[in-house]
Amino acid sequence: MENPLAKFGIKAAPSSLESDLAGCKAAAKKIGYPVALKLVSQQIMHKTDAGAVKLGIRNEYELSAAHKELCRIGRGLRSDGFLVQKMARNGIELIVGGKRDSQFGQLILLGVGGIYVEVLRDVTFRVCPITKKDAHEMMEELRSYSILSGSRGSKPINKEKLASLLVKVSKFLLSENPAELDLNPVIADHRGYDIVDVRLIK
Amino acid sequence: MSSEKKIKNLYAVFNPKSIAIIGASRNPTKIGHVVLKNHLDGGFGGKIYPINPEAEEILGLKCYPSVSAIGKKVDTAIISIPSKMVAAALEDCGKAGVRGAVVITGGFSEVGNAEGEAELVRIADKYGMALIGPNCMGVLNPASRVDSIFLPIYKLGRPHVGDISFISQSGAVGGCIVDLAARAGLGMAKFVSYGNAAVIDETDLLSYLEKDEKSGIIVMYVEAIRDGRRFMSVARRVTKKKPVVVLKAGITAQGAEAAKSHTGAIAGAAEAYKAAFKQCNMTEAESLDELFDFAKIFYQPRAHGRRIAIVTNGGGNGVLAADSVVKNNLELAQFSDSTTKELIGFLPPYATAKNPLDLVGDADAHRYESALNAVMKDPNVDAIVAILLFQTVQLDSSVVNIVVKASDLRQKPMVAVCTGGEYTELHRRILDSYGVPTYPSPSSAIRALAKFLEFSKKHPK
Repeated sequence: MENPLAKFGIKAAPSSLESDLAGCKAAAKKIGYPVALKLVSQQIMHKTDAGAVKLGIRNEYELSAAHKELCRIGRGLRSDGFLVQKMARNGIELIVGGKRDSQFGQLILLGVGGIYVEVLRDVTFRVCPITKKDAHEMMEELRSYSILSGSRGSKPINKEKLASLLVKVSKFLLSENPAELDLNPVIADHRGYDIVDVRLIK
Repeated sequence: MSSEKKIKNLYAVFNPKSIAIIGASRNPTKIGHVVLKNHLDGGFGGKIYPINPEAEEILGLKCYPSVSAIGKKVDTAIISIPSKMVAAALEDCGKAGVRGAVVITGGFSEVGNAEGEAELVRIADKYGMALIGPNCMGVLNPASRVDSIFLPIYKLGRPHVGDISFISQSGAVGGCIVDLAARAGLGMAKFVSYGNAAVIDETDLLSYLEKDEKSGIIVMYVEAIRDGRRFMSVARRVTKKKPVVVLKAGITAQGAEAAKSHTGAIAGAAEAYKAAFKQCNMTEAESLDELFDFAKIFYQPRAHGRRIAIVTNGGGNGVLAADSVVKNNLELAQFSDSTTKELIGFLPPYATAKNPLDLVGDADAHRYESALNAVMKDPNVDAIVAILLFQTVQLDSSVVNIVVKASDLRQKPMVAVCTGGEYTELHRRILDSYGVPTYPSPSSAIRALAKFLEFSKKHPK
């Protein structure tokens, strides 16, 4: 799968799209366990809601079981295959997104991500382009900023790396002018982040 | 036409030495009559030429059949005639060298008559005219007394000269703004309602007011911005020189419904505007009340931090204020040792020298004076909220002078809170007119203060 974000230095966690179990096994071996396995289908918008994501797969045995389960879920759906992905780090789930606005052009979003984005609505926007300073201000504006800064014994996330990601995304948005973009979730911890899922709408 | 020329020609609209009122009427219920009468009653100092081919004289002024028939220089034309006739009148103005036009007449793009409006744009462009409207209320300048607001002075008050300028897309909201500003005793530099924005739009007005020395604060009411990027580049520049308070109406979820992503689902037009205002360092208000609450606080000297001192003669109101301080991410100041000592020196034994500083129910103007002096010089205090409950026996009008005097030192931003009925309301207005921003509740006062401190932080001076 060609990733147009890659040339802007925006890299999703290593992954491979496979059509069958043998391919999944080979890919998992190459990427290294633990992995996540996802059923990819244009008919599924939110994978988690559909049960199409299996996490923390530690070996070939568990991979086979997960594959079997996803095949069951995928019955009757037009499927593009199975995505084997390096299991992301443990951390805070964020969302970084973009949208083309008719008045102001590209907007960039940072928020608390994962599957509850619309419910929590802890998000902030800027009109692109943004600077690193803007990126840091965006983090500070989130209600959950104290969680990003480390709470209950966890280390603060690497804000500098997240700020660079935001600046890169802003550059990507201005250059490619997509209708919508989701990097969700972006899982961040004190070392950095993993971009787990990318949704780009041209 | 270069946009610079038309922006320059806005000077003629706001400061005309001579105006033509096209559509001046003998009928007192017609807009053309009210506009003429408002200029006469309002004391407009320049020449006034009523244009009406069917009248000899209106309100004692000689009428002319057209602007070109006057044979003298006319700076600005105020046009209120049927929409079909506007283009011809505008063309005549252009030929006669009129630099500014206010087209009050509606019936153009707002009702689908895009062609009619395009014709006006073509004529304005040809002559480099600064055209405001069509479908607008136009301009008011309390200094030059130009006043195209077609609502009678006895029904809609006009503010005195000051340094707040208002830009309103809507005429109806604009009228309310003018009336409320007059009632609140807020001084006004310029007012403009620009309607369909066929030629002069919100961004042009913002860049004109940027250079207008009389305008210290700019307040905007907008429903839509024509060119978001151009607006941002101008607004960013303007806020480096003067504060801009903005109220955006019309929040639609349009577009968000069809979204295919999380981001798309959350990002409506409102979020884009909010982000843009923030990035331009504009102060966003969420209601008309807030527009005024925020506008009047920008007279205050810049603050250097966000530690708030609360001085009150009512304990509960002090607690409410302290709650608002926390809710708005401000801090309650910790009085310095020397302030505490000073406070203990004059406070009655049943009062506590702590923030919020409760001067208790028997506080008089003298106690307020000592307290305000003490907190004003405390290095741990960045801004002051003075709560005045006029309902007590001891507090009388003399405290107004004390508060005004403390505020006039211009050492730290200070706001006052007067909560109550008519007697209180009267004092609130007096304080406001003396330039002490005064609010009916602790929450409105502290929200405005928070917005001002946010601005102060970005623009230390």
